Amino acid sequence: MSDLTNVMKKELREYLSLSSVISVVLVVVIFAFMGTMMSGEADKITSPSDLLVINCDDNSFAVDEIRDVYDVIFDGTSGEYVHVVDGNGSVVDAEYVQRLMSENGYTDAIVICPDFRNNICSTPVIKGQMMLYFQFEATGLFGGASSSIAQSIVSAVNERISQTLVSSVTDLGPNASSPIDMGSTYTYVNGEVVENVTPIEISSALMSQNFIMPLIIMVILTMIGSIVISSMGNEKENKTLETLLTMPVKRTTIVTGKLISAAIAGLVFGAAYMVGMMFYMEGMTSTMMTSVDLAEIGLTLSVSDWAIVMVMMFLAILSALGMCMILGAFTKNYKAAQTMILPLAIMAMIPMFIIMFMGWESLPSIGKILLSLIPFTHPMMVVNNLMFGEMTMVAIGIGYLLAFSALMVFITVKVYRSDILITGIGQTRFVVAMKKFFAKKSE
Amino acid sequence: MNDALVVKDVHKRYGDHEAVKGISFTVHEGEIFGLIGPNGAGKTTTLRMISTLLKISSGTIEVCGYDVSSQSDDVREVICYLPEDAGAYKDMTGRRYLNFMAGFFASGEKKQELVRKAISIADLGPRIDSKVDTYSKGMMRRLLIARAIMPSPKFAILDEVTSGLDVVNAHEIRDIIRDIADSGVTILLSSHNMHEVEVLCDRVAMIDGGEIILTGTPDEMKARYGARDLEEVFIRAVKEREGSQ
Repeated sequence: MSDLTNVMKKELREYLSLSSVISVVLVVVIFAFMGTMMSGEADKITSPSDLLVINCDDNSFAVDEIRDVYDVIFDGTSGEYVHVVDGNGSVVDAEYVQRLMSENGYTDAIVICPDFRNNICSTPVIKGQMMLYFQFEATGLFGGASSSIAQSIVSAVNERISQTLVSSVTDLGPNASSPIDMGSTYTYVNGEVVENVTPIEISSALMSQNFIMPLIIMVILTMIGSIVISSMGNEKENKTLETLLTMPVKRTTIVTGKLISAAIAGLVFGAAYMVGMMFYMEGMTSTMMTSVDLAEIGLTLSVSDWAIVMVMMFLAILSALGMCMILGAFTKNYKAAQTMILPLAIMAMIPMFIIMFMGWESLPSIGKILLSLIPFTHPMMVVNNLMFGEMTMVAIGIGYLLAFSALMVFITVKVYRSDILITGIGQTRFVVAMKKFFAKKSE
Repeated sequence: MNDALVVKDVHKRYGDHEAVKGISFTVHEGEIFGLIGPNGAGKTTTLRMISTLLKISSGTIEVCGYDVSSQSDDVREVICYLPEDAGAYKDMTGRRYLNFMAGFFASGEKKQELVRKAISIADLGPRIDSKVDTYSKGMMRRLLIARAIMPSPKFAILDEVTSGLDVVNAHEIRDIIRDIADSGVTILLSSHNMHEVEVLCDRVAMIDGGEIILTGTPDEMKARYGARDLEEVFIRAVKEREGSQ
């Protein structure tokens, strides 16, 4: 074996340790999962979805046009997805439309106003009116995409009718090139009707919340977790922990001191990151020309809401620190400590990506249950939950985080009172029994 | 003479593996007692059980009248423990480290008195204000011994205290240990350096394979085996035990 091979063999053995290979594999799995998730969401946007059409005209002209356009876009599926309700020739009010939408679970509705056909077939052309209604759902990156589909259908109908008119009749006047007046757009947000705002505009305005909270929480948890685990690794390597544990001070005091100081540091870092990210996202969203003022449509947080956000962040940090101190107990040294952060990072990354890209509402029930079990999901969703009045979810989140952080602190104190902190996991009964079992097997 | 430490039939098990197999010995007040044996003999495990870091599987240990299992907080009030190859917090200066540790024992002027005493024991000169990660091994050991002795413990537990030090530094550390013992502190030290134990300890226990194989003064042991030094005593004692098994 050459000197080069000898050196390379030793180096590769160090770099490609079991823990580093596992971490790489997990990152690959997470990215693959994200890719599947994103393509699933993208498929949802391009796949047909229910559309409510309320026809207040006295004929089916506009409905037929909508069906034709829908069939072109979604491969002849209008029979299944376009649901037509007769408006009996009179103007319908917003409450009626909302009731119909919520009763049947529709997120998009087009109202064809009375005299639609007569107006556009008159000479010169008078604009026929269609109104769009949306039910806003707080979702992830693709939230509000449905509104662009509904709008696209109306735009396509507009174009089709215009082409027909122009090719068949002359001297139609200026409205012939755009015979449909889309009138007002109505979106239901938190049970209130917001005029002239589409879900996609609200989603754009909410992007900062949807992105900032999960991202900040993930960054804080992994950063503080890494600091705590590394500190534990250092303490073990330098044996300062052994010294500390023989001081005349209770173990609970040591654990509490370490936890609280790290939690305070986490909150300070968190506040700093939040300010920085707010500026960053403000810059980003302003370049996207978002015209929606969230405060005007009631999507804003009060002082007490922010207090709840801070409480949940503190509890999440406390839970993460508890986990890290337990994981840190199993480290032998600083180097080993670096890989121990992985379980925490994964637990923070999974809800972050799901909330960012899919949103809570689009998850199946089992997905919601599994995601709820990850304690860091709750603080990532708290801003949206508070904005949309999901107080049960907020209460469940606080309760779960309280229980989880208490459990983590309890286990941490137990670990600090046990031999594991000194001997590591290698000397526990379970590991000794396993080693013996595998030794026998190999014989 | 009162006993500062009483170890009775102490076992330490990890599953089926028994690291310490029913050891018993006593350390009298004011003496320097050496626990000697090869690497892996069970010395550090025994010291960790005495200093409340590890739980005892069975048996009893009393330090200055306090039971380590049921009165561990009281035990920690009267002992100091210096682990083998211990370090200090790297981002602290020597003075700050001593300040931090003194905070566990006193506050205000009393705390400053403890720090001044420790600085005097460490005898590091102006380097006391340097970061500890710039210290040599000898300097670090002096700092840690000063930290251990600073609160005037009744019972000092020192694990391989001169391990890895050069001749001059090891000699200086042994002098410090003698001074500590002269001030009335009972010392239990472990070492695999038989010569060191011979020149430093009043009494010695030899441990091998988790069992105490011999206890007595260095002179008694040498006389019993007609040996020149403790190293020879240890080898003969191990052979004698193997022969009797």
